Amino acid sequence: MQAEISTKQTATHSKPSGNAFASKFAKSMFITVSVIVFLSFIATRQFTHVDLNLYGYMVGTIVFIGGFFYRFIAWGERPPTKIFIKKGIKLLFRKSTAKTSVDHLATYNFIWNRGIYRWTQHIMMGWGVILSCMVTFPLVFGWMYFTMPENGFYTVVFMGINLMTVKADGILAFFFYNALNFSAVMVITGVSMVFYRRLKNMQARAEQKFMYDFLPLYLLLFISITGLSLTFQNVVLHGWGQPAMSLIHQWGVIITLIYLPFGKLAHIPFRPLSVFARNYREHYMEQSKKECKVCGTSFVSTEQSQDVVNVLGVNNMEFETKEGFHLAELCLPCRRKYRIAQFSGFPTHEVKVKEANQNAKG
Amino acid sequence: MEKKRLYLELENCIGCRSCLAACTQCGGHEERNRNYVYDVNPLVNRQTMPLMCLHCVNPACARSCPAQAIQIHETGAVLSALVEKCIGCQNCTIACPYGIPKFDEEQNLMYKCDLCIDRTKDGIPPMCASVCPSNTLQWLSDSEIEAKQKQFNLDNGKWVTSLPYLEGETNVKVNLPGILQGTTKLF
Ligand code: SF4
Ligand code: SF4
Ligand code: SF4
Repeated sequence: MQAEISTKQTATHSKPSGNAFASKFAKSMFITVSVIVFLSFIATRQFTHVDLNLYGYMVGTIVFIGGFFYRFIAWGERPPTKIFIKKGIKLLFRKSTAKTSVDHLATYNFIWNRGIYRWTQHIMMGWGVILSCMVTFPLVFGWMYFTMPENGFYTVVFMGINLMTVKADGILAFFFYNALNFSAVMVITGVSMVFYRRLKNMQARAEQKFMYDFLPLYLLLFISITGLSLTFQNVVLHGWGQPAMSLIHQWGVIITLIYLPFGKLAHIPFRPLSVFARNYREHYMEQSKKECKVCGTSFVSTEQSQDVVNVLGVNNMEFETKEGFHLAELCLPCRRKYRIAQFSGFPTHEVKVKEANQNAKG
Repeated sequence: MEKKRLYLELENCIGCRSCLAACTQCGGHEERNRNYVYDVNPLVNRQTMPLMCLHCVNPACARSCPAQAIQIHETGAVLSALVEKCIGCQNCTIACPYGIPKFDEEQNLMYKCDLCIDRTKDGIPPMCASVCPSNTLQWLSDSEIEAKQKQFNLDNGKWVTSLPYLEGETNVKVNLPGILQGTTKLF
């Protein structure tokens, strides 16, 4: 097995440039870090505007990227995952991608259908975190900073370009300063809702584990509270204890970044795969449909049917029947009736009667 | 406590569908059942059989899942999709040799029998086996299943659980219906 994989890899990386790196991991790391450094170089006008107070976040980010690639590459090597990533990238420019992405990644319509309470949780935490990342990381890498060329006015510099000038006590500036406070309140609201559900819901109580379900919540709470406390110390306590709290806050963010690719939060960076999966299903369903070998109903795309058969084959599962078809080639009702037939000896699947009510709601 | 497993005696089924009704009431099932009851020969007689997830030892559903959303519990139960991981590709529904996983288009989420894991992990029988009035679905230890095997050993190769009537080794044990094979069951 091992030998087989490595020969395959050398075969695909036969271009000379691919061999400069010991592994996919090293290559991905190198490219990503180079891109970040390059962007920072441009944005900070050749490193003249770097805020070294935020140095801890830089280290945290680099460690996060390492963890992320480590997880993602191991995961992407699994046969079914590989198929979705490869074909998903190919289908990325479908017309529907934009709409599906908004549905799945921004408005979470599918979570709305799972329940309004859970949707609200997600919007609060999801957008709270996204908002704070959108503010924090451009600051950390110097992609965005503020200058005050004349008194009373700030200039927002984004990617080295003077983006706009705002009044220091104006409404826009107010939103800039307080973006992180708003996002902290959003995250705290979301996390509290989750805690409430986890205490009340019996199923959640039966299944939850500290490391998987609770730790990420505590981390988010820790970051939000220490973040808010920074504002409080600034405004009410005139900066008392701020340097220490700032370090504690940074420390919380770094721990979270390190944890992120491994625990429950890993579903965030992996979620875009659901857009890939939707595109894959829509595209190949338009191409050609697979008809059930027993009743002739089309139930899946030919491509997906073949992909699943191949993946099962890799796992040494060949569901060939004595009638000469693969079980994955039967529509679901026929496949179930075929099994009943194996038990009873009577060919239930050949009786042309629609299956009795199997609706999940009875 | 000796480990127990689900054991089916398919021919006992009277088609009451209590198992399905009970399934809807299990915690986390959100009032939807996750298994099936079929008429064997619908135009001729009333014989029915339940079709349950058999909790394969090497589950095709989990192997085909690109998101690793289907976890295998330490008791051997093959769990329903983790809500945060399932990406809605439906590979699992195509892969399962028995057509068990159900898919909710609106929620973009697969759901399947989890053997009422909140109960069975503590040794409480799953909802279906708790209510089945005909002993089609039972919750038995391996030694009890072995005793059944001795009791029903008809010496003609027609009894005995699972293989070769299934596609692979399963954690749920299935007893084949003697009646329909022309052998009388010895109660
Ligand atoms: S509860 Fe038992 S007898 Fe009733 S349908 Fe289910 S398996 Fe058959
Ligand atoms: S019977 Fe189907 S759904 Fe159940 S564990 Fe096996 S492959 Fe998965
Ligand atoms: S539908 Fe969900 S659980 Fe099923 S294979 Fe796809 S990602 Fe996995």
